[in-house]
Amino acid sequence: MNPNDIVRSVLRWLIYVLLHIFVARHLVLFNYSFCFIYIGAILFLPVEINLTALLAIGFVTGVTIDSFDNTLGLHAIATVLIAYLRPIIIRYQLGQKLTEGRLQLSIRDLGLLAFLSYVILLISIHHIVLFLVEAGSISMLPYTFLKIMCSILFTTVSLLLTQLLSR
Amino acid sequence: MLQLFEFIGRNRNFILFALLEVLSFWLLVNNNNYWGVKYFNTANTVNAKALEISNSVREYTNLREVNTSLAEENRRLNELVTTLQQQKPANAPAGYKPDSAFASRFKWVTIAKVILNTTHQTDNYLTIDKGYADGVKEGMGVVSSTGIVGKVKICNEHYSVITSILHSQFMISTKLLRSGDMGTAKWENSNIPSIIQLKDISRYKTIAKGDTAVTSDQNAVFPPGIAVGRIRNFKVAPDQAFYEIDLDLSTDFSKLSYVYLVENKLLDQQQSIQEGILNKRK
Repeated sequence: MNPNDIVRSVLRWLIYVLLHIFVARHLVLFNYSFCFIYIGAILFLPVEINLTALLAIGFVTGVTIDSFDNTLGLHAIATVLIAYLRPIIIRYQLGQKLTEGRLQLSIRDLGLLAFLSYVILLISIHHIVLFLVEAGSISMLPYTFLKIMCSILFTTVSLLLTQLLSR
Repeated sequence: MLQLFEFIGRNRNFILFALLEVLSFWLLVNNNNYWGVKYFNTANTVNAKALEISNSVREYTNLREVNTSLAEENRRLNELVTTLQQQKPANAPAGYKPDSAFASRFKWVTIAKVILNTTHQTDNYLTIDKGYADGVKEGMGVVSSTGIVGKVKICNEHYSVITSILHSQFMISTKLLRSGDMGTAKWENSNIPSIIQLKDISRYKTIAKGDTAVTSDQNAVFPPGIAVGRIRNFKVAPDQAFYEIDLDLSTDFSKLSYVYLVENKLLDQQQSIQEGILNKRK
């Protein structure tokens, strides 16, 4: 990783977090769909980043988002979890692609299908954990699951859009 | 011991992961913990500042709604002020008690948006976006947030045309607030849309520049006390009994956007009894 890459990664992280705080946080479709676009800040970090750093970044990201929603800990739980699972899923889902050469986790380098298989899996884990922990019980399970499904769709589409708009 | 360190070294990421998760859960469950209260919440200066900026941007998108609700609130308050004023007029003797129907005769019907407005003709008219459907009737008074505007001339289902006070035939019974002298305001100098003339004030009264002129109690269309203007300058011709006064209009017709419509519910009764005496005299 050269300094240029590091700067780009930091900028990308910042953009996703700010995008969430200032815009996506207010987007709620039909009272069911929420947009957690800040996941992109974790998902699109370089492949070769080491796990310790990844966990720390995940925790910081989660706490930052939490401090704006007054839900300290909630987003941190889900974000640290996907930060930990990210290398494993990359190995299983994108293992073949990665052996071909140095890749960036972007739609251009991976292709739509591989990209979606990576993104949707992690988004789903994140959302399931987030909404179940938030609900705190399983009494509202159908409602919670509807929220999870709609939000997965919404977040995936918005991440696709940010990917298509970025260079 | 060495084995323990080796184990920690090998599994350091998993241990870090577990620690962070436990920490997060602890933060979440103890939602009143010191760190949460002290630093990581929306009262934190940085966060509050960011939210403030975000809000100030969002405010612009809400301006339209805010305007409408403020206009509605003003209409309500205006109605209240008029009713209260009429129930207990400031200059009335102690024993006077107005009839309740009379006291509440002015009804602030609705708010309308001005969609067409001329100011540079001899007879000026405005068009507003409310009509019969919203309770507008011919003859209602029209008032802006700063002062008097005109009178409804014709209306259809959804639009109305208003005779502006910038009209060569429009006369408003006006009184000077400080001295209580009554006169008639009329737009005679038909080219400056910010100045109106006030006549019929005797040259033997004392008036001063800056005196406020409001609608008088003898007005059938407008509630008393609506601002008309302020005295800009005055002169008196040697052979005249009355002052020639120029008023600075309090309504800025170039900026007019929302207007309030006022109905005098007893106007018909008042007019019919006044016409009655004319007929009897004949």
